[in-house]
Amino acid sequence: MKKLITALLGASLLSTPVFAQSAWTGGDDQPTNPLACTGESPAPEPGEYNGGTPTNAPDRNGKDLTVVDIPKLVGVGYFASTASGMQEAAKELGNITINTDGPTRANIDEQITFVDNYITSGVDGILFAANDPVAIAPVLEKALEAGINVVGYDADAEADARQWFVNQALPNGVAKSMMDQLASEIGEDGSFAIVTSTFTTPNQARWISEMQAYTEKCYPNLKFLETVEAQEDNILSFNQAQTLINKYGDELNGILGMTSVATPAAAEAVQQNSLCGKVSVVGLALPNAMKPYINSDCIQSTILWNTVDLGYAAAQVMRQVADGTLKPGATTVTAGRLGELQIVNQSQVLLGQPKVFTKADINDFDF
Amino acid sequence: MTAMTRILIRHEFILGILFVIVLFAMASQNDRFLTTANLLNQARLMTEVGLIAIPMTFVIVTGGIDLSVGSILGLCAILLGVFWQNLGLPLPAAIGLSLAAGTAAGFANGLIVTRFRVPPLIATLATLALYRGLAEGISQARSVRGYPDWFAVLGRGDFLGIPTQLWLFALVAAVGIFVLRFTTFGRTTYAIGNNEAAAEFSGLPVVRTKLLIYTASGFISALAAIVFVSRVSTTRSDMGSGIELEVITAVVLGGTSIFGGRGMVIGTLIGLCLMQILQNGLSLSGVRGDGTTVVIGAVLIVAVLISNLLSRFSSD
Repeated sequence: MKKLITALLGASLLSTPVFAQSAWTGGDDQPTNPLACTGESPAPEPGEYNGGTPTNAPDRNGKDLTVVDIPKLVGVGYFASTASGMQEAAKELGNITINTDGPTRANIDEQITFVDNYITSGVDGILFAANDPVAIAPVLEKALEAGINVVGYDADAEADARQWFVNQALPNGVAKSMMDQLASEIGEDGSFAIVTSTFTTPNQARWISEMQAYTEKCYPNLKFLETVEAQEDNILSFNQAQTLINKYGDELNGILGMTSVATPAAAEAVQQNSLCGKVSVVGLALPNAMKPYINSDCIQSTILWNTVDLGYAAAQVMRQVADGTLKPGATTVTAGRLGELQIVNQSQVLLGQPKVFTKADINDFDF
Repeated sequence: MTAMTRILIRHEFILGILFVIVLFAMASQNDRFLTTANLLNQARLMTEVGLIAIPMTFVIVTGGIDLSVGSILGLCAILLGVFWQNLGLPLPAAIGLSLAAGTAAGFANGLIVTRFRVPPLIATLATLALYRGLAEGISQARSVRGYPDWFAVLGRGDFLGIPTQLWLFALVAAVGIFVLRFTTFGRTTYAIGNNEAAAEFSGLPVVRTKLLIYTASGFISALAAIVFVSRVSTTRSDMGSGIELEVITAVVLGGTSIFGGRGMVIGTLIGLCLMQILQNGLSLSGVRGDGTTVVIGAVLIVAVLISNLLSRFSSD
């Protein structure tokens, strides 16, 4: 009811059409929690710790640690860059050795075997990015039972199967970065459309809802046109972006890409239609996929978290968990050069706001 | 040539020696390797591949191949989850239906190979894509979770101190050894592999035998799916992808000729164990995953080369 009144009030005051305030397609109906339009948002309460605890872990405070990092898969740019962040932290700390090893395909069965073998070989800590949150849980619980410190990053497991999880971005943080960037490119009264995977994909649906809430709060004059589905398919994403361009013509100022496939495909469509500078593309994508468009000045930015920082933070958290300085109930953790990181969602360390890559720095990243 | 030397130059015997050498080499590298806990744990991890390798030995002895086993595993795992959670059937009924679906998938393979005379490589390459596609379509990329505790006994529990699924594996292996070695069915299997046309003209039931073997391959793949789901307590459509290559490696390493007519279940078992202890032992001594894959490939080539050289030497 309150929302409806706000909507009507907003409609009468700003004389925008009422339909512009109706729900965007492709969002979920979960409650939203938009961040403040400018400046820092107050830190949410982390709540009671719900992670696991290793059984009879030896005192590792200040001692040399042997840690294995088991990402979803090895041999791809994304996890090579998280691993390089870990090595950076290891070098800085001096008393932790991190060895990255894992399956060559994102295969949960192989990943479980890797974890299992490293438990037997007797490491002090395991860093992981899970291929499946539930399937990996039993073997991680086994690691905790063997007194091994377990910290996740990038992709979580069930909370009680690990101690802490370094979360790269919260949905409201992604929403704020996306909409701030869009508004800065197309102005605060432009029109835009969204290319998503499907209306029911959990992550994308969550982000779209948060984006709507944040837009209503901070950019009430931005005009939402429609959301189109493109699976996570390269060709379909291109076609959908092409259709949007044909359908809306000059009215369309921006396209939001919700997947790492949709964003470069939309950029390609904009470039092929010679609409560089007229239609902006803002979205989540790997820097490597966006380099051609950004370096040729067709597209201004791409949004993602800094994967090197993600690995760096994971290694720092591992050190502090082993030392016993990061305990249940903490509200912040100091992670080397990243400074203070917040604890959120009971047992997660938040890396921070997503990073906007532009022509100025995108060529420094390789993933 | 005496019977003794004939046994000594058998591929299985050479492989056995290689196995013992690797076992001791690995044990000297790492003191955590040769412990009961580790070995039993490794046996638990290799059960799914091992189960499927038994009927695969039969398939390859007939001169055929079944590439679709990993996809059948994925499909049956998904069906188990869908029958249980989405259709609300009791779990035992879902298990039964899932086994039936796997058997039907294997039977379909057999039909395509025997009735339509499609070469097994092409037939099962097609069903590899077909069954995996079905699994992904049915699951809509969603996983099924939250299986009851009693179900986990199969994949994570122990019976008399031995992992539960190992008993199941031992039973399947024993049946495989008996059928291939001591029954008419087993001798027909060898006959088909040696010369299919000759077997047919001798009045052997070639079509029925092949049909049964592919069906069994589907059934055991479904059984492996149940064990797999129980072990990881979740169902995903990409389960078992690529497992067919591990299975075929174990069978071929075990001395079964890819051209058919030669091979033993016992060889497959040794090949399987050799692969598993190599993987585990190398990993424990700090060799990374990609290095392990290289070593296993090298061992496979060396084992096949030695066996070929010796058999050439012996037939002179």
